[in-house]
Amino acid sequence: MFNFNPQTLKKLRRFREIRRGYYSFVILAVLLVVLALGELLVNSRALIVKYEGEWFFPTYTAFHPGTDFGLEYSYEVNYRELQAKFTAEDGDNWVLMPPVPYNPYENNAAGGIFRPAAPSLADQHYLGTDTTSRDILARLFYGTRIALLFSLAFMVWVYLIGISIGCAMGYFGGVFDLFFQRLIEIWSNIPFLYMVIIVFSVIPSSLSIPSRIAILLSVMVLFSWTSMTYNMRTETYKEKSRDYVAAARIIGASDTRIIFRHILPNVLSTLVTFMPFVVVSAISAVTALDFLGFGLPPPTPSLGELLKQGTANLRTAPWIVSAAFSTLVILLTLITFIGEAVRESFDPKKFAFYR
Amino acid sequence: MIKNTDMRGICRLLGWLTVALVLNGCGDSETPASGDAVTSTIDNSVEVQAFYDANPDFFSFKTPADLPEGLNWVSGDEFPEMGSPQAKKGGTEYRALQDFPRTLRTVGPDSNGGFRTLLLDDTTLQLAHRHRDYFDYIPGLAESWAVGEDRKTVYVKLDPAARFSDGVPITADDYLFSFWFYRSPYITAPWYNNYYSTMYTNITRYDDYTISVTIPESKPDVEKWVLELRPQPRHFFRELGDDYVDRYQWRFAPTTGPYVIKPEDVKKGRSIALTRNPEWWAQDKKHWRYRFNADRIQFTVIRDTEKIFEAFRRGDLDQASLNLSEYWYEKLPDTAPDVQAGYIHKSIFYNQRPRPSYGLWINTSRPLLDNRDIRLGIQYATHWQLVIDKFFRGDYGRLNTPHDGFGEFTHPTLRAREYDIDLALEHFAAAGFSRRGPDGILLNDAGEKLAFTLSTGYQSLKDVMTILKEEAAKAGLEFRIEVLDGTAGWKKVQEKQHDIHFSAFGVILEMYPRFWEHYHSDNAYDRAFLEDGSINPERQLKTQTNNLEAFAVPEMDRMIDRYRRSADTGEMIGLAHKMSELHHDYASFVPGFYQGFFRVGHWRWVRYPEYFTHKHAAGAGELFVHWIDPAMKEETLEARKSGATFEPVITVYDQWKE
Repeated sequence: MFNFNPQTLKKLRRFREIRRGYYSFVILAVLLVVLALGELLVNSRALIVKYEGEWFFPTYTAFHPGTDFGLEYSYEVNYRELQAKFTAEDGDNWVLMPPVPYNPYENNAAGGIFRPAAPSLADQHYLGTDTTSRDILARLFYGTRIALLFSLAFMVWVYLIGISIGCAMGYFGGVFDLFFQRLIEIWSNIPFLYMVIIVFSVIPSSLSIPSRIAILLSVMVLFSWTSMTYNMRTETYKEKSRDYVAAARIIGASDTRIIFRHILPNVLSTLVTFMPFVVVSAISAVTALDFLGFGLPPPTPSLGELLKQGTANLRTAPWIVSAAFSTLVILLTLITFIGEAVRESFDPKKFAFYR
Repeated sequence: MIKNTDMRGICRLLGWLTVALVLNGCGDSETPASGDAVTSTIDNSVEVQAFYDANPDFFSFKTPADLPEGLNWVSGDEFPEMGSPQAKKGGTEYRALQDFPRTLRTVGPDSNGGFRTLLLDDTTLQLAHRHRDYFDYIPGLAESWAVGEDRKTVYVKLDPAARFSDGVPITADDYLFSFWFYRSPYITAPWYNNYYSTMYTNITRYDDYTISVTIPESKPDVEKWVLELRPQPRHFFRELGDDYVDRYQWRFAPTTGPYVIKPEDVKKGRSIALTRNPEWWAQDKKHWRYRFNADRIQFTVIRDTEKIFEAFRRGDLDQASLNLSEYWYEKLPDTAPDVQAGYIHKSIFYNQRPRPSYGLWINTSRPLLDNRDIRLGIQYATHWQLVIDKFFRGDYGRLNTPHDGFGEFTHPTLRAREYDIDLALEHFAAAGFSRRGPDGILLNDAGEKLAFTLSTGYQSLKDVMTILKEEAAKAGLEFRIEVLDGTAGWKKVQEKQHDIHFSAFGVILEMYPRFWEHYHSDNAYDRAFLEDGSINPERQLKTQTNNLEAFAVPEMDRMIDRYRRSADTGEMIGLAHKMSELHHDYASFVPGFYQGFFRVGHWRWVRYPEYFTHKHAAGAGELFVHWIDPAMKEETLEARKSGATFEPVITVYDQWKE
């Protein structure tokens, strides 16, 4: 699988040479790993609890009712309080909390009133809290994770649909091509954002949050796959008329073989170049939708929702908007840098100059 | 080519952002003024007369000699005047609208928007109005009135001085006409059609300035049904016909009140203004002369709540509501420079009136929610007190029944159930939900999760939903939150598509609460019960009613029917208490909170009477007792420039605090 041809190896080498893009890629890769292990870093559940000689690792397990640790309630243990209790008792029991001991949903009002609290090291709210006293760092963290996963999934689907339809259009041509061209012209003139808002508003909310996010994703994909087809179509057209395709056909290769073995590998390099930009636009779109209140269902943590809260409390809680805004800027800049580097390294004209 | 695709990506990104901005920033584009386009002339006088003739029982024509003997005419003259003698006329008041009115009609499609209060409810006159301190009636368009012996008919002598804003006298004919108007299919308003055909049985004209109106059943507050009628200008609606909706879309109807809208002040989508009519007939009349003081009220459309508040802070708007705690305590704290310098005054006024029924409306027609134990569990698992203490900062109170604030009609001892995890778990266990799943949410033996959708149309209160969700999870109950916009939320509950909905019904100032709308089985199902009183197995939910709980209990129906027929206040109070108890036991409504006050921030030049406003007022602006002092405005603006300060003014008006 990792048998890259020299062309590809050259491209990869060039990608590494473009420092800005390469380091962005490294940072983003690290970020993805960190985000994937998020529950160990940002969580209200303890990493390790030692209670009465027994060890507990509650992060990924089913919830522990308070009664498990000698408390009186049957709902989930508040590990921060448990830690304080064990420390006060000064016995053998102890609790190890993650660096950020909050989950993105809980209202933890230090002053007893739900309102934005400024960043504070003592409370371990490193970026402060939002209007209902939820930890902003936790919400940003999981919001970013959801946005990234969402946009990666979005990209995969848009590519799958766009490539298959575009490739088929270019390869088969004729009536098939004409029909799909018209269809895409009509389809792409439907205003994307309005459609997402309309369609998503009729989705019943009795579904669980993950399935509602999946529906939002499919609706967005449904109205975004078209732009990819045009690139694929022209590229396939171009490749199809090349001699090597004609040669393959003469020796009796099937359509499938020609498409998958000959055309696709030659076309993919162009497609790869704007992958990052699709991710960027997906993140922006889902953030915009959240900002307008039509995106991910509450109380899912999201960048757009934080931005909205931030703009509503610009005077009284500037830390909300600054945290969300910087995260968004950093995230989008990183991906754009990667995109630029990929584009440049895949460009056959080495000394072309892009601005 | 590569460059090209890249550009497209950026363009698309920009496109999305632009759409986002456009959606957020503006919405209503200019609609062509359809009123101008209508040219055909209509004269419906013959049709109206024919309708009167066809309904002789409803429309009667008699002479003054036919008035019954011994009527006790009342004129409400003895009550102290509303408003303050210090009020000065003049000035322009600047306000904001979040949405441009979709029409200037007050009836028919799209007319039930927020602006209608300013077109109709708060600014025009009824025959008589409730005095906002005493609850009794004071004269508006009527001079005096008398209740007939049967307590079904009210006789009214109209004030001969009353004029519409175009100078045409208001006579008995306008009242007769308004019944035709409200019953006419042309207005495309079924609610009015139904209300004016079923809630009234007769209107009689004795002479130009004497009428009587009859309602079907005698009522302790029969006056309300009659004295709160408003006339429609017959001469203006002579053209009322099939094209009513278009023809009158942007035409301002002659009004009985002090403010008119001039066509040149209607800038669609942007601004609209009310101008005080210098010829207003009631401007020297008692109870009216010290109110409606600003010469002009200018409304600018600002869609975003935060922008409205910023415009107020700049001084572009004169007043802002500070009802939400974050505004009162953080966005305009007592320590704010403008407050400390005395430029902006802050006022809290405690009022007394029926409270809007904020709470969770549980749809009992849904599976699981039809189980009383589940509902009781939900009652105990909903932590309203935490919302009140921590989100509303203890300023609000806990609502105990959906009928709080009705004086003797409100149940004196019923209390809303307190948050109690153990009791909640006990009730859920009784309904079969006894073991917790991996996420702490209860499951029953079939593996079903104890989860319900909690929807709301209040975008501004969505934080309340997340707090309730977190607390309910401790009791093993999952709320799936759905925040809709106002219209979509309302549509959802009207179609009875909700599991649990957080909402409130605004309550008008009246003597006793309404039960039929919310708790009668007629409004829950089509034929809820069979002849023998058992549940009709084929019953269908009835949509478009206010029975949001699908509440259908035969005993309640019987009490409601008695309550609606009763003319005896004592009996009605007894029934109201019993019905509240039954409803409490049924546990289909989780009472939320009420706000026993309203609070506003207003620039120094907005002056209020020394008592601020009257006991039953719903909001600071409702009664128009404030006035604008242009000299003071100039002085304040000067002071802001020069840095001069005044005494800070933060006033609590708690003379009516309960």
